Amino acid sequence: MNPLSDPQLQHTLSGVFRLVVPEIVLVGTACIVFLFGSIFNRRWIWFTTSLLGVIAAMVVAGTVKTATPEVLTTASIVPDAMGGFVRWVALISAAVLLFISWPEVNRSIAAEYYGCLLVAVAGTSLVGRANDLITLFLALELISIPTYILLYLPVRTKRNQEAAAKYFLLSVLSSAVLLFGFSYLYGLTGSTNIAVIVDTLTKANAEVLSPMALVGIVMVIAAIGFRITAVPFHFYAPDVYEGGPGGVVSMLAVLPKIAGFVALARVLGLVGSDSRHIPFDANTQLPLLLWILAILTITIGNVLALLQDNIRRMLAYSSVAHGGYMLIGIVVACSLPDATGNLRYGAEGLVTGPAVGGIDALLVYLVAYGLMTFGAFAVILYLSTPERSVDAIDDLAGLGQTHPISAGTMAIFLFSLIGLPLTAGFAGKLLLFVGAFTAPADTATMRNLYRLLAVVAAVNAAIGAYYYLRVIGVMYLRTALNPIRSSRSAPTLIGAVALAGATLFFGIFPQPIVNAARKAAPVPEIPSTTVAEAK
Amino acid sequence: MSDPIDLALVILGLPLLACILAAYLAITKRSAAKYAHVPLILGCATGAVLGIILLLKVAADHDHRFISDPMTWFAAGNLKVSFQIVVDPLSAIMLAMVTFISTWIAIFSSSYMHGDKGYARFFAIMSLFVFSMLGLVLSNNFLLLVAFWEGVGVCSYLLVGYYYEKPSAAAAARKAFLYTRLGDVGFLLGIFLLWKMGGWNMSLTAMFDYMTKIPPDQGELTAACLLLFCGAVGKSAQFPLYVWLPDAMEGPTPVSALIHAATMVTAGVYLLARCAPLFAMSPDAQIVVATVGGITAILAAFIALAQNDLKRVLAYSTVSQLGYMFLALGTGGAISPVFAVTAAMFHLFTHAFFKALLFLSAGSVMHSMGGVIDMRRFGGLRKLMPVTHLTFLCGAAALAGLPLLSGFWSKDLILEALTKAADEGKSYTGGYYILLLVSLVTVFMTAFYTFRAYFLTFWGPERIPEEAGHHAHESPSRMTVPLMVLAVGAVFVGIAVEPFNHKFSHLLEHAPTLLQAQAVSHTDMIPHHFNKWLASIGTALALGGLGLAFVMYRKGTETLPGAIEPVFALSRNKLYVDEVYGAVFVKPGGVLAFLSSAFDGFLDAMTRLISSIPRFVGWWVRPIQNGLVQFYALSMALGLTVLLTFVVFRIAR
Repeated sequence: MNPLSDPQLQHTLSGVFRLVVPEIVLVGTACIVFLFGSIFNRRWIWFTTSLLGVIAAMVVAGTVKTATPEVLTTASIVPDAMGGFVRWVALISAAVLLFISWPEVNRSIAAEYYGCLLVAVAGTSLVGRANDLITLFLALELISIPTYILLYLPVRTKRNQEAAAKYFLLSVLSSAVLLFGFSYLYGLTGSTNIAVIVDTLTKANAEVLSPMALVGIVMVIAAIGFRITAVPFHFYAPDVYEGGPGGVVSMLAVLPKIAGFVALARVLGLVGSDSRHIPFDANTQLPLLLWILAILTITIGNVLALLQDNIRRMLAYSSVAHGGYMLIGIVVACSLPDATGNLRYGAEGLVTGPAVGGIDALLVYLVAYGLMTFGAFAVILYLSTPERSVDAIDDLAGLGQTHPISAGTMAIFLFSLIGLPLTAGFAGKLLLFVGAFTAPADTATMRNLYRLLAVVAAVNAAIGAYYYLRVIGVMYLRTALNPIRSSRSAPTLIGAVALAGATLFFGIFPQPIVNAARKAAPVPEIPSTTVAEAK
Repeated sequence: MSDPIDLALVILGLPLLACILAAYLAITKRSAAKYAHVPLILGCATGAVLGIILLLKVAADHDHRFISDPMTWFAAGNLKVSFQIVVDPLSAIMLAMVTFISTWIAIFSSSYMHGDKGYARFFAIMSLFVFSMLGLVLSNNFLLLVAFWEGVGVCSYLLVGYYYEKPSAAAAARKAFLYTRLGDVGFLLGIFLLWKMGGWNMSLTAMFDYMTKIPPDQGELTAACLLLFCGAVGKSAQFPLYVWLPDAMEGPTPVSALIHAATMVTAGVYLLARCAPLFAMSPDAQIVVATVGGITAILAAFIALAQNDLKRVLAYSTVSQLGYMFLALGTGGAISPVFAVTAAMFHLFTHAFFKALLFLSAGSVMHSMGGVIDMRRFGGLRKLMPVTHLTFLCGAAALAGLPLLSGFWSKDLILEALTKAADEGKSYTGGYYILLLVSLVTVFMTAFYTFRAYFLTFWGPERIPEEAGHHAHESPSRMTVPLMVLAVGAVFVGIAVEPFNHKFSHLLEHAPTLLQAQAVSHTDMIPHHFNKWLASIGTALALGGLGLAFVMYRKGTETLPGAIEPVFALSRNKLYVDEVYGAVFVKPGGVLAFLSSAFDGFLDAMTRLISSIPRFVGWWVRPIQNGLVQFYALSMALGLTVLLTFVVFRIAR
């Protein structure tokens, strides 16, 4: 039959727009904001319009029913559980960002600022459901390009311009590497469809390892490493975080990480397909590479954060370190094809399979990370005024007395960043570390390596506690020499308090997020035949 | 609402609500703080009514048990923690009893604590105390149970140290907390062990089902049971950790009534009753439980003989009576666990009434005497405080086990259980025989010290300490009415539910966990019958004690013949147990603490050394962050090259 007249194929291709209605709503709102922003620019108008756009997107996301495309091998968009999870995280991030960025948006830039924000969020949401290299690349660029503008918009000092230029140059470099890597994958498999690529490579790698595929995927990892601030692709982070405007930096710290990790999981075949059959499993050395990246990232991030006196730089390095923690999830997920017969509790009593799937832990951590990073930047934004921005950690001295609410919420975020129990950060770290500690491995060496990873991560978490606690100490134990005046921006404060509440709630009762993450990335259950074989 | 689980949750929620309201009043320091008692009284009263309804529902139900759907709190790997509550005859009886007693104690306190500056704080903590105890009773997994168990501990700490400005109160609070924590260490270890043995089940019912189906290793089980028992020893003030309870008298008297009757010390007894299926499988653990109970019973009774502080007499009597309960619990397995647990729970039930009554009466006396509680300084209060006198008499008679009063029936049941265990038990019959003799001696001593306190306080010529001033008088009606209600309970509650209609034992006979215990212990059910001989011996001993006390103390003063003076001195000084503990544990502990502190200094230096490593590494790698964008790009390219080389070379090899 002529493929063009295949009704299933036609249906798949034409049904694509139904799957991205919320993103279309977001971009549409952004277009309206851009267009009319040139006529009248008022902060509250465009704030309200953007918020309404986000709410409309949420409503649409909750109501429009989507069906999985019949022909997965041609579909560029798949509305699976992972896509749903990422979409909701992105939409909620959008609402949060609108609130906390309030003080740095002035009337001359409001329309452009909010428009760019919406486009970046739409890009993040699209990454979650991209099933094609082209779509994935476009979605990633949909995050990067608005970010260039956003970095430049609110403040126009020399330092800020330098930060924007650095980010632009390095980001373009990484995009080029990403495309280069994609071209290898396309060349090897003859398709840009991720499902096809994963399937073909899995079959090919089962027979003989293809060095070209590895070269391609290493480039992809390197390019995405830029977005998730993996060492040695993290260099931009401290400079940009220090120079960039607070609200944009908080976006930059979270959205590209979500997008990067999800994209990585998709390209590595860890989501959607059978997690027992992935193209680059333990015998390709790729997990080892990721293992090294994770350890380097965690350690370098933490030891450099230790030396910072500027709170934004400290948060930048800490964000590097958190990117490293999240890499553990990917490493663990790569180990799953070796999973044999670990006992755990499933829906019906004892089943076999690992306790943590890796990607589910990663998603939980992403949510926790988003909550605390947005929160910490929100507090800094709230305390900064145009005359005096909060930069040095010492600027926070005596905050406990002068701004009890800000200090309290900041303390909650810092505790969560440390990973103390009863905060969301603890739930995330626990799952990741348990995942690494119990990761199934076929050889004793690999098992020891996974355990070593958990130990290194735990030691680093202890190092991290030092510089976070130092901030808390400065806030509560020192008196203010030069008390700061806050921007009195109510939306930011509301955002910070809501984020603190969520951090505590999901710390005390993490099950909803864990369940959602497990729905998006189920922990593999091993068929009983495999267990029997293993025994 | 009609669903038993919902009903139980409402009962549980009421004191929590009361706590929040009272805490709000305490924090805001409104003038409305003087109504802080209202939420607790209303909450407990409603809870008591609902508790009785719940009890009837449980009795009428086919399974005699309702288990809530588990609500998952946290799940990671093997660990799945969920909230789950269970309503069965055991918990329903406790629920109704705790709320009922608490209601009257709350009413009494509203008058007793009147005008105190921490009035609202007092009622907030009291509410939290009741809430924690109800939660403890209802929880169906160890994690929740531990949470409430510690909640009870914290509340007792706060209440014993209620007069925190008084050094002795602060010390007593600390002592209570630390001694119970000592037991909790074992308790937690036991829980971990049981968790492992019970197929990683957190839910108690699932754990018991698992362990009765797949019998665990006997040695491990005994160890786990004994570790659990450690927790009970701390909480229920058993030998050797009982020393905190008498000191806990430093709190306001209604607190003592609450601790002794309803909310704290019964927790240990309840724990063992709930875990009866485990204990029934381990006779070795059971004889230890019974022995500890026996030692505690006679030891505390002996110390109570010569105490001059009225409340301390009562405190030691509680310790001694709790010993009885553990004696009864300890026979389960040797004889039918249903019978053993019924005996213990029945004694717990009647004891709650008369002990609350005795403490509140003592509080009434104390209130009237201007805070003086030393029996040498007052006497002959019969005329001055007629209501208190009569109610105290009811309580004392019940405690002494005079025939037909509630204490008589429950004590009879315990003696019966011991006789059976000594007679036809499956193991350690000799041991149970000795324990039976011990408990009979204790019956005599109990009657003696109880009536010694009664005669010293209420008989003889009227003596009033100067602290009472000229207005020593009977307490107001808000204090006497609870006394009268509890006195009726102390007299009749025993006869009403057990000896003739066997309502209490019928209810517990159907408790699923006890039936489970019965099944694993392979013992025969024991029919209800009245052992005339045993009852006569018990009565004779009690009356003997009473008679001796009458002969020695009817004048209301203590004049000791020279021969027994040394014995009394020993008793008065509590057998020097505190001093022995001080010499054996505290002093060496101090030395150990000094050594630890020196070692800590060394470790501290080492830690500093180690902690400087990350800093050094950071300082070393810092220069690569030099701010030059071309260098950054170069680094990224180099990084990519290294990665590629790594992968390609590993493959090519």
